[in-house]
Amino acid sequence: MKTPAILLSIALLGVAPAAFASSFAGTSAGGSSASSASSDSSSGNDKVVLAARDDAASFVASDGAIRGAQLEAALRHLREHVPQARQASDIELAKAILAL
Amino acid sequence: MNTGCGRDRWVRFAAWPLLILGLWAGQARAALQVQLDEAGLAPPEIVATRQLLEQARTHLPDAMQAALEQPIRLRWSDTLDAGVAGHAGRNEILLDRELLTAIAAGDAAARQRALATLLHELAHLYDRVAPGGPMSRDPRLLDLAGWQVRATRIGTQLAGRRENRFVDRSPDRYELSKPAEFVAVNLEYFLLDGSYACRRPALHRYFAQRLGAPPAAAGEGAPCARDFVYADAGDGDAQALAALDPRRVYAVDYLLADSNDQVMSRWGHSMLRLVVCAPGRVPGPDCRLDLSHHLVLSFRAFVGDVQLSSWRGLTGRYPSRLFVLPLTQVVDEYTKVELRGLRSTPLRLTPDEIAGLLERAAQLHWSYDGRYYFLSNNCAVETYKLLHDGVPRLATADLGSITPTGVLRRLERAGVADNSVFDDPAEALRLGYHFESLRPHFQQLFDVARSQLALPQARVEDWMALDPAQRRPWIVRTDLRSGAALLLLEQAAQRRQRLQVQEALKRKYLGSDEHPAEVAVLESLLQQGAYLGRPAQLLEGTGYGLPQAREREQLADEGEQRRARLKQLHADVEAGARELMTPTQRALLDGIAANRDLLGQRLRELHAEEGGVRLP
Repeated sequence: MKTPAILLSIALLGVAPAAFASSFAGTSAGGSSASSASSDSSSGNDKVVLAARDDAASFVASDGAIRGAQLEAALRHLREHVPQARQASDIELAKAILAL
Repeated sequence: MNTGCGRDRWVRFAAWPLLILGLWAGQARAALQVQLDEAGLAPPEIVATRQLLEQARTHLPDAMQAALEQPIRLRWSDTLDAGVAGHAGRNEILLDRELLTAIAAGDAAARQRALATLLHELAHLYDRVAPGGPMSRDPRLLDLAGWQVRATRIGTQLAGRRENRFVDRSPDRYELSKPAEFVAVNLEYFLLDGSYACRRPALHRYFAQRLGAPPAAAGEGAPCARDFVYADAGDGDAQALAALDPRRVYAVDYLLADSNDQVMSRWGHSMLRLVVCAPGRVPGPDCRLDLSHHLVLSFRAFVGDVQLSSWRGLTGRYPSRLFVLPLTQVVDEYTKVELRGLRSTPLRLTPDEIAGLLERAAQLHWSYDGRYYFLSNNCAVETYKLLHDGVPRLATADLGSITPTGVLRRLERAGVADNSVFDDPAEALRLGYHFESLRPHFQQLFDVARSQLALPQARVEDWMALDPAQRRPWIVRTDLRSGAALLLLEQAAQRRQRLQVQEALKRKYLGSDEHPAEVAVLESLLQQGAYLGRPAQLLEGTGYGLPQAREREQLADEGEQRRARLKQLHADVEAGARELMTPTQRALLDGIAANRDLLGQRLRELHAEEGGVRLP
């Protein structure tokens, strides 16, 4: 995942902290970049699932203690749309997301 | 069209011969009487005037005619200022004599202009005697028009409404000069233009409620599109121009980013989150997890050049604009890049109120070019005003505050914000009411890897301070669980490193005279991105208010072109930034990227060895 180029913009802007970005500066100069889909992921994966990779990593690393909404959304999405996901446990699916 | 002015200037009235046109006499309803000053008019001009008055009558709702009880004197005048077509005095209307000459010569455009002017001046006369008080002094009309309340005053008050910044896509900029002119210009469009209902729906409802429906507005009109078109400021692959149907929005939350120690974010940042349901899902609580469809309405100061000063931020020199962003991008920006948490508090609103709020947001998006004042017109004040103007019930709820947490506290006190969703912290995280930053978990994550790999460092800070190459030998030995932990830390290291590079570049270039081409590219990017908060730029000169069918087609084309240009500029900025870095900075970032790739590889291998579930 590339970090959005806009961060650089903000830095060059002289908007001291990046934190400033979303609350003050014109960060929204839009455009591309942060498509969170890494280039090496297998095709056809929904962005809901790809967006959950960090949450999945936290979930696996914490052995289920850190459970964020993006993971929750991805789990529901997979169980709604992918037959082999229906029988799998949360941690199994989180690992599978991490391995995409 | 600039039709006239409504200053209450007393015009001396000589004893001219008056002809009382009995146009509206003889009708059942007590009706408008117009007395035409015939002095100097040729018979065909009197006939033309008579026809004009007759035509105007067909456009006037009964309520308006009934309220204008006093006879109105009408005079064609050749002493109006240049560019002024009419004037409403005390029970008197002056119209530009040149218009009459043109009308008598068969000029259809002049006739239309005269009709609009006459209605405009009648609107002034009506406004002064309107039952229920002048519309131009009604707080609700002022809300809708754009003379907004201030956060530090009681909601319904008239005082303190200083300036109308709804400057884009105006049918006639003259409407912005003062509320009385706003009413006259808008009544003119309300009475004549069939598309007014779709272009300015809230104002149309307001006038229709006070006056009844316009009897003879012509042209394209209802049914209006039920969705609102907006410029997507996300950096993903969504369409440049997207549409939002209010019926697909299950809820609206007050979205608050935690404060941090930086000056401009010490108070946090307030936004509104739209819980948009995924296609095919019936609006209901299940939509809460359709995160990839949710949107965020965020007011941001738009900075169009590379020089940014706090002074300008304090003195209103930056524009404040409404941006529409995907929620997932906002969550990433705050929780991963800035390491700030987000709390999303549901607001108790009815579906009709949500629709009204979104309609107002659309009006802002297409017309509003506010001024950002750090203390008096910041994100909290803008968000408060959006709620105040979009949901009439909230206008009396005393929600005004200049801080994001202040507005939230007032929403809670008024019973509008439902903070019970945070009672169970784990559920709040799981269901997306609370998005937390990973920073508090860094040490916990590190400890996982430390115990598995027997890492020599005790503190996560020491691990992240290592050269990427020093971390690499450990990475290849992780198990799945510590691999996941180290991946998160490597990503955090990457973001941190990028921020440090940016900080260094900033220090190097902004205080100095050196101005490499890469910085010019950045400026260009910022300027090109302006349309995202001011999409009216895409439709220069066509139509007013919310874009209608034909304008929407034009928008789609123009929007895609603009986005393509932005993407290219983004790529140029990325490449340019790399050129500006020192070799050490580049090596560090490359080292981290290599570690990330290695970890990704390692996790896939371990997963395959385990025989884990494979997703298609």
